[in-house]
Amino acid sequence: MTNTSGQCIACQDMPKTPRVVVVGLASCFGCQLQITNAEAHLMEMLGQIDLRYWQLTSSDPMPEDFDVAVIEGAITTEEAEATVRQVRERAATVITVGACATTAGIPGMAAAGFIERPAQVYEHVPAACGEMIAPRPVQAVIDVDFEVRTCPVDTLDFVDVLQRALYGSNKAVPTRTMCGDCKRNETCCFFGKGELCLGLVTRAGCGARCVNLGRPCNGCRGLSPDANLPSAREACERYGVSVADFDRALEMFNQVNPALQASE
Amino acid sequence: MTKTAIHVDHIARVEGHGNVHVVIEDGVVKTVEMNVVEPARLFESMVRGRSYREVSYISSRICGICSASHVVTDLKAIERIFGVEVTPRTRALRELLVYGSYLQNHATHLFVLAAPDFVGQVSVFPLAETNPELFEQALGLKALGNELCTKVGGRSIHPITAVVGGFTHEISAQEYLELAEKMDAAGAFAAAAVDLFHGFTVPDIATAGDMLAMVEPDYYPVECSNTARFLEAGIEFDANDVEKHLEEYDVPHSAALLARVRDTGTPFFTGALARVNASWEHLGQKAKMAAAKAGLRPPEKNPFMNNVAQAVELVDALDRCAGICRALAEPGAIEGGSEPVSFEVRAGRGVGFTEAPRGALFHDLELDDEGNVVHASIMTPTAQNVANLEADMRLLAEKLVAEGAEEDAIRQEIEKLVRAYDPCLSCSVH
Repeated sequence: MTNTSGQCIACQDMPKTPRVVVVGLASCFGCQLQITNAEAHLMEMLGQIDLRYWQLTSSDPMPEDFDVAVIEGAITTEEAEATVRQVRERAATVITVGACATTAGIPGMAAAGFIERPAQVYEHVPAACGEMIAPRPVQAVIDVDFEVRTCPVDTLDFVDVLQRALYGSNKAVPTRTMCGDCKRNETCCFFGKGELCLGLVTRAGCGARCVNLGRPCNGCRGLSPDANLPSAREACERYGVSVADFDRALEMFNQVNPALQASE
Repeated sequence: MTKTAIHVDHIARVEGHGNVHVVIEDGVVKTVEMNVVEPARLFESMVRGRSYREVSYISSRICGICSASHVVTDLKAIERIFGVEVTPRTRALRELLVYGSYLQNHATHLFVLAAPDFVGQVSVFPLAETNPELFEQALGLKALGNELCTKVGGRSIHPITAVVGGFTHEISAQEYLELAEKMDAAGAFAAAAVDLFHGFTVPDIATAGDMLAMVEPDYYPVECSNTARFLEAGIEFDANDVEKHLEEYDVPHSAALLARVRDTGTPFFTGALARVNASWEHLGQKAKMAAAKAGLRPPEKNPFMNNVAQAVELVDALDRCAGICRALAEPGAIEGGSEPVSFEVRAGRGVGFTEAPRGALFHDLELDDEGNVVHASIMTPTAQNVANLEADMRLLAEKLVAEGAEEDAIRQEIEKLVRAYDPCLSCSVH
């Protein structure tokens, strides 16, 4: 809260512009692109922060000091793990963006049987690959303060979370499953047609974007903490949808989720 | 002995992570390496065992910029295996989707990533202050690409609606017409972009490598053909035979597999410049005029001209997409519907082929009789380009050394060359 001359009411200082860095790990870069897709808002958004480092858009080197770190991508090498630890030491606030950073996302699929996978792609694994490790989300290595889910992130979701990180908010983050959203949207259910949809157990918040366009949910926001997996499997059986297919489909964005492994 | 070692760690303003190493000893260029250090996500391993229904959804995540191309390429591979013939309307929609990613990619690459090089800035943001009109129009063009992908694919990145056999959703005729009008309105800026990039001074070098592009009689193809051609060697082949003509190989300094023409052993360039060289006569009238004005005519072998070629493609894409949108809005102008056609799952092998914004993209898939992936090989344009980029970096460094250029100048020009290739390093290591 500031007074009329812009000073903080509590400490009587001018608020400092938060220094922000954007770090990219194993990903498609799509979430960073989604941030640039804030076209109309981009310069206004940048006007509120001191963007210290964004490799995608600038050749400036990464600084020693910053306040907020935005991390995109999954951790797939020992080098990346060291980077996020270093970022955590320096940043007051860490925000993960996208499925890769929050759930290990699609790269996380490689976690199962990881040890055999590099040889399936390379005849000789190049030294440039670094010390590869089984993919994991950022929060498996360091504490994360805020997250922006979905693959790719919704641009305005990112703006909303950034705003919460910078200015604070008491808004509750929904944890419910997506299924209810389709009822509200009055779209028909894939299970009625004997087709699998992961909205049953996936965290809500995207507005059921895929279902609205005729495509079942693939679970990119990750498993909802409220998901009841045994009950969902029963529902599959009831509708004649293969339970094995349901469990396999869940691997796409939840391969490394302990809840999924515990339920099997 | 004088030894100059140029190391650029984490080259900026390209998609993905890469380093450049150049060593010059006594005026001789000894080492030139494009060190691709992007983390390997192992997609070819990851898709094994997954259903044909999921595979395009997964491989789309190889790249945020060319996600539409990865999806269309996978769908083409799967449809070749199943023997699915999609309707002309579905093909038109796929062409729009691919062109949507061209608008996104070329506008982002030219203005956000490449342009700062030529106006002496480290990023695009100072440009926003010194030339707000240019900045706004450039972002507007990228936004139009996003809008096209969103209208056709359901989202600007990682399309939702494109599935085997067709599309799960389509917009209204009115929305197509509105898109067409926006394309028309953006045409003048795209033409100005050709002039702008033509106006930037670039080193005069000629790549010694081959060029690879999709070809089709009487058309400027980006997804409609299965035929590829090496322009120098004059080798034309069906995408299903890609392995016979394109050789992938690994080197320790790159997590991306490199590539060369199997028959000649030469590296090659793929991308906008190769397409314009291959199909110059099939560019639309406006694009052809813009290209002629900028002195871009085949055979053009200066890799820096890839920037101009991309700008020419912006003109062409806008013109072409406006036409497609108008046709889609008119009942019966394009045959068939877009709802997925029926098909039967069967085992087999097929190669999908499209021209992604950065060049030729091949997805070689083998499916079992339940439609699950047995084997996958994905050849992205940037991986194909790395060997030729290294050869061109050497040419450029030798030329600059001979001219007595300082280390800083050599470093800057090499970085510019890398960006002119528009590499997508995250794509190249998939």
